[in-house]
Amino acid sequence: MASLVPCPHCGARPKEEFTIRGAALARPLANADPAAWMDFVYLRDNPRGRYEEHWHHTAGCRRWLVVTRDTTSHEIAASRDAALDTTGAPHP
Amino acid sequence: MSDFRITPQITLKTALQGCTRLVSRTITLEALPEGHVLHVLGKPGEPLSMARLEGLSDGTPHAVRAAGPGQWFIVGDRAKTHSELADLFAAIQPEAFGVDQSAGRIRIRASGPMVERMLAKGTAADLSLSHFPIGYATTTLIGHIGAHVTRVGADAFEIMVLRGFAQSLWDDLARMSGEFFED
Amino acid sequence: MTPYRLPAGGLIDRRSPLAITFDGKPLTGFAGDSLASALLANGRLLVGRSFKYHRPRGILTAGAAEPNALMTIGEGGRTEANSRATMQELYAGLEARSQSRWPSLAFDIGALNGLLSPFLGAGFYYKTFMWPAPLWEKLYEPFIRKAAGLGTASDVADPDVYEKCWAHCDLLVIGAGPAGLAAALTAGRAGARVILVDEHAAAGGTLLSETARIGGRSAPDAVAQTMAELDALANVTILLRTTAFGWYDGNVFGAVERVQKHVRLPAAARPVERLWRIVAKKALLATGAEERPLVFGGNDIPGVMMAGAMRTYLNRYGVAPGRQVAIFTTNDSGYALAADLEAHGLTPVAIIDSREDAAPPYTGKARIVTGAVVSDAQGGKALSSITVLRNGQAETVKVDALAMAGGFSPIIHLACHRGGKPQWSDMQSAFLAPGDLVGLDLAGAVATTAGIAACLDEGARKAAALLDEMSINATPASFGAVEGDIVSAPARPLWTVPGVKGKAFVDFQNDVHRGDLDLAVQEGYGHVELAKRYTTNGMATDQGKLSNVNAIGLLAEARGLSPADVGTTTFRPFYTPVSFGALAGAHHGRDFQPVRRSPLHDWARRLGATFVETGLWYRSSFFPRAGETTWRESVDREVLNVRAHAGLCDVSMLGKIEICGRDAAEFLNRVYSNAFLKLPVGKARYGLMLREDGMIYDDGTTSRLSENHYVMTTTTAYAAGVMNHLEFCAQVLWPGLDVRLASSTDQWAQMAIAGPKARLILQAIVDEDLSNDAFPFLAAREVSLFGGALHGRLFRISFSGELAYELAVPAGYGESVAEVLMEAGAPHGIQPYGVEALGVLRIEKGHVTHNEINGTVTAADLGFGKMVSATKPDFIGKAMVGRPGLVDPERAQLVGVLPLDPKTSFRTGSHILARDAAATLENDQGYVTSSAYSPHVGSTIGLALVTRGAERHGEAVMIWNGIRNEFTPGRLCDPVFLDPGHEKLHV
Repeated sequence: MASLVPCPHCGARPKEEFTIRGAALARPLANADPAAWMDFVYLRDNPRGRYEEHWHHTAGCRRWLVVTRDTTSHEIAASRDAALDTTGAPHP
Repeated sequence: MSDFRITPQITLKTALQGCTRLVSRTITLEALPEGHVLHVLGKPGEPLSMARLEGLSDGTPHAVRAAGPGQWFIVGDRAKTHSELADLFAAIQPEAFGVDQSAGRIRIRASGPMVERMLAKGTAADLSLSHFPIGYATTTLIGHIGAHVTRVGADAFEIMVLRGFAQSLWDDLARMSGEFFED
Repeated sequence: MTPYRLPAGGLIDRRSPLAITFDGKPLTGFAGDSLASALLANGRLLVGRSFKYHRPRGILTAGAAEPNALMTIGEGGRTEANSRATMQELYAGLEARSQSRWPSLAFDIGALNGLLSPFLGAGFYYKTFMWPAPLWEKLYEPFIRKAAGLGTASDVADPDVYEKCWAHCDLLVIGAGPAGLAAALTAGRAGARVILVDEHAAAGGTLLSETARIGGRSAPDAVAQTMAELDALANVTILLRTTAFGWYDGNVFGAVERVQKHVRLPAAARPVERLWRIVAKKALLATGAEERPLVFGGNDIPGVMMAGAMRTYLNRYGVAPGRQVAIFTTNDSGYALAADLEAHGLTPVAIIDSREDAAPPYTGKARIVTGAVVSDAQGGKALSSITVLRNGQAETVKVDALAMAGGFSPIIHLACHRGGKPQWSDMQSAFLAPGDLVGLDLAGAVATTAGIAACLDEGARKAAALLDEMSINATPASFGAVEGDIVSAPARPLWTVPGVKGKAFVDFQNDVHRGDLDLAVQEGYGHVELAKRYTTNGMATDQGKLSNVNAIGLLAEARGLSPADVGTTTFRPFYTPVSFGALAGAHHGRDFQPVRRSPLHDWARRLGATFVETGLWYRSSFFPRAGETTWRESVDREVLNVRAHAGLCDVSMLGKIEICGRDAAEFLNRVYSNAFLKLPVGKARYGLMLREDGMIYDDGTTSRLSENHYVMTTTTAYAAGVMNHLEFCAQVLWPGLDVRLASSTDQWAQMAIAGPKARLILQAIVDEDLSNDAFPFLAAREVSLFGGALHGRLFRISFSGELAYELAVPAGYGESVAEVLMEAGAPHGIQPYGVEALGVLRIEKGHVTHNEINGTVTAADLGFGKMVSATKPDFIGKAMVGRPGLVDPERAQLVGVLPLDPKTSFRTGSHILARDAAATLENDQGYVTSSAYSPHVGSTIGLALVTRGAERHGEAVMIWNGIRNEFTPGRLCDPVFLDPGHEKLHV
């Protein structure tokens, strides 16, 4: 019926405005160990509870967000622009 | 160069040709002129001054509209010539880049005392004046169609939509307004 | 006056009679009646037949939980089956029909099922009809479906409109009874944004059925005064006839408003129902409590009714439930009914109180039998007598109506919708809402608060407290003293009534009786979830509103447990049924999805194009001409014309992305697998985008318009996905790069002009020199048109393999420019062509699309191995593209395929087998990804992904379509069927 995702730029919006990508994982370096790349591309933990995910506000500000979502309750504890770190500063 | 040259009548066809203004006591819908829509691409985190952005506009109220972090639309009813556009885009570089969206985005004005109720049939954004003050702009879904919405008056919004969806959105808005055209 | 209508009283408008029909017979009610009250007033006690046993049923409740009085209302496309008569407002001309009966309500053949009942008990599906199996489909199921079931849906399209909308508020109040009204008034006066919803047409809840006086006014007058004040507050939205049916993530509540379900002919401009999604900062649940039936024999006979419902019919609707009324109660609430009956001159025949030690606040004249139960009721289509059992002594009492007061279950459904479990309270003898609610609080009877004064007070206080959390100051509203308030202590539950002989129903709607539950326990299905499915208790459209708690109590007693240990089944939305119309809203039929129209749409339409849906786009498929009888004729002509002369194709729907910034080149170098750093200004380059797993994601061209400004084209299908992907790369992977992105797909009308005459035609409108030297293959520049009257972008790229250009002009000028080009090209033989011809042209050239780029292919598979840079330090897909599985020489590779006999053909999707291999999937070597008839080759041609295909050109194979059992001997070949040296591109 409805499910709201808080966008740090636009406020709470229904999930239909967003595209979910999955776990917010750091991309390994190009020359990283093949095992690290296998993990990044294929393996997911599927934890019960809080999970950091990448969501894109596709029909809104078009920013990628890191959304901290509880996989059992869908409760969203935090959401921030993915280009900013947890302190709100831009990534280098 | 070919010696066969054509100097024809090239004519503009508006996206909402044939959509007449819809007016009732409580709702008015009108397609705005396909003037200019400049998409300003700044760098997130390095905001441009409002004065500088307004300097690029034709000076009408609410001509500059936020469009996500570091991006703005500058709109107006008058079409800009190719060289005017080139000059404007040159003027904001290197801090920002300009992209001409004058043909790609179509503006519809929706106004009247029932306008919030009408738009609430499409968007989940909170449209109340306290949350969505005059001049505020946001991008949201109206039904199934993405649109950029700006409040331009207590009872007036401008809705900007991709040209390809303009007719569908107009039809949707007309349907959403239907109950306000009863009398 | 009808036999059951009282001469005075009630909130009905006796000056406004309304004529209705029930099963075709005319009846009269009044404005303010429900269909149920009108039926009762007319003495229509028998209103339906039960689901399984076809037992006669009457009206049981006065509200949303009604399991019996289900009607079909309306005609044709407006037919609404299973409408609860208790919730249906009366209107002139209402046509109601009873259900589950044949041939008539009074004489129903299905009632024979009652005689078969030993075979129709719990689990009968699994037992009786198990054997012989073939009879299940042919005999048993059709029989059961005909005999059982509720109303029948209409197969005529619904003519009415529905809509959805959003609302936002500080405080949502659900339920406009005493607690809800007090809360709304408190919050409204404080200036908060308030939404008050109530499922009934009139606000007030139980206050409309009350005889108490509030602040010196009658309860209904107090309601009217409060509503008038709320109505005048601009910050308060009142939604009546609106059921809040679910609580969802983000504190969003779903509600359905029945805008025009109480009129005969809905106004066309307004919806009949409106689905609300209410975003509430805080919400207060003031939904009251449901009275529980008592489970004795014959408790479903017409005339047996909930005690609270009887009060409503008496006080609100001015209808007597009968003339000889008995009351069976387990608590003090039954005595309020006794007092009301006496006030109307209907002294109860008896009050049967299950408590030995009852000490009710009752001063009336009725006979009170304490420590007693009603063990059975008798009657056929109407109640005639009851058996009162006290100390083992049975007494028969003649009655025509019996009230049941089995205690109250708080209506906590919404509070449990987000996963919280109800908690059993021994003290309250009820399941209470979960304790750790966030954003939602409860007030009034739903929180087991008893009495009007206490509910008013709690509603006001809870609202003030919730507002305080939002830093809004509020003073709890007060309503003055309440006289005649009835505060009954919680009932001691009476689950198992002793001495029962007849069928004692638990779930009235699904015909589940006590014996069924006993059987479930006996057969090992006593767990609450198993018992539910074994007996179907609680699985009807009423979702067990009256039956679930009784079933749990009975299961608990049968298993020797507490209801706390039995637990409940899961509460899920919807609280009451919601129509598909409301859920779909306006998005059906023509409005199912939006249409995306190319700026050249009308131009193509004028030229007679046949359109095809591609995602949301409408693309011109082909342009049939007079005399052409098949689409193939048109397509062949368009293809040949492009190769011989020139064609114009609308490619506006290709994705276009502007890429700007100092680091745009570096960015492109990382998102494409091939090199982009050195692309000169004014040139286009074909680019291949991989996924991180090394497979191809999308392809397209990117052109450098100026030093720091590129424009990328994507396939139509992946336009949105590529934009999201690029934004991910720019924002998440490499936020340090200076790159800015904008979609410009809709800005441009873009047309491909292809064929040997393309240059000649374009030069007629393009000011710049288009000679091969000045504007060579892969040139890409902004150009001036018509002597500077217009500017566009011109790209010399080719999908057809011919000399070709793509010209982009501002969308509004697209039609005009296309027309000019057609006019200029007419002497050169230009014709429009559509996506069908486009497809043939590209297959003839071995160009791939997403038929080939299917998520399992690598660049090397398609012969693009050289486009994967070995030297770039990083790009998307680099790390995994060299995995052994991706460089296995046995991989399927792109290859062309031809039938050996040009008169034969094959289909896309067919498998490739070695020439003499048996036709089994074990021998599968690949499949045909694209195929078309090539007028140039003179036969069907195909592209295929075949193991080691690149080195097998010339090899004979079998093309096998296993589904259609087609075998076509064929030959693998170069996927480029035409101009293998690509010389035409450079002329």
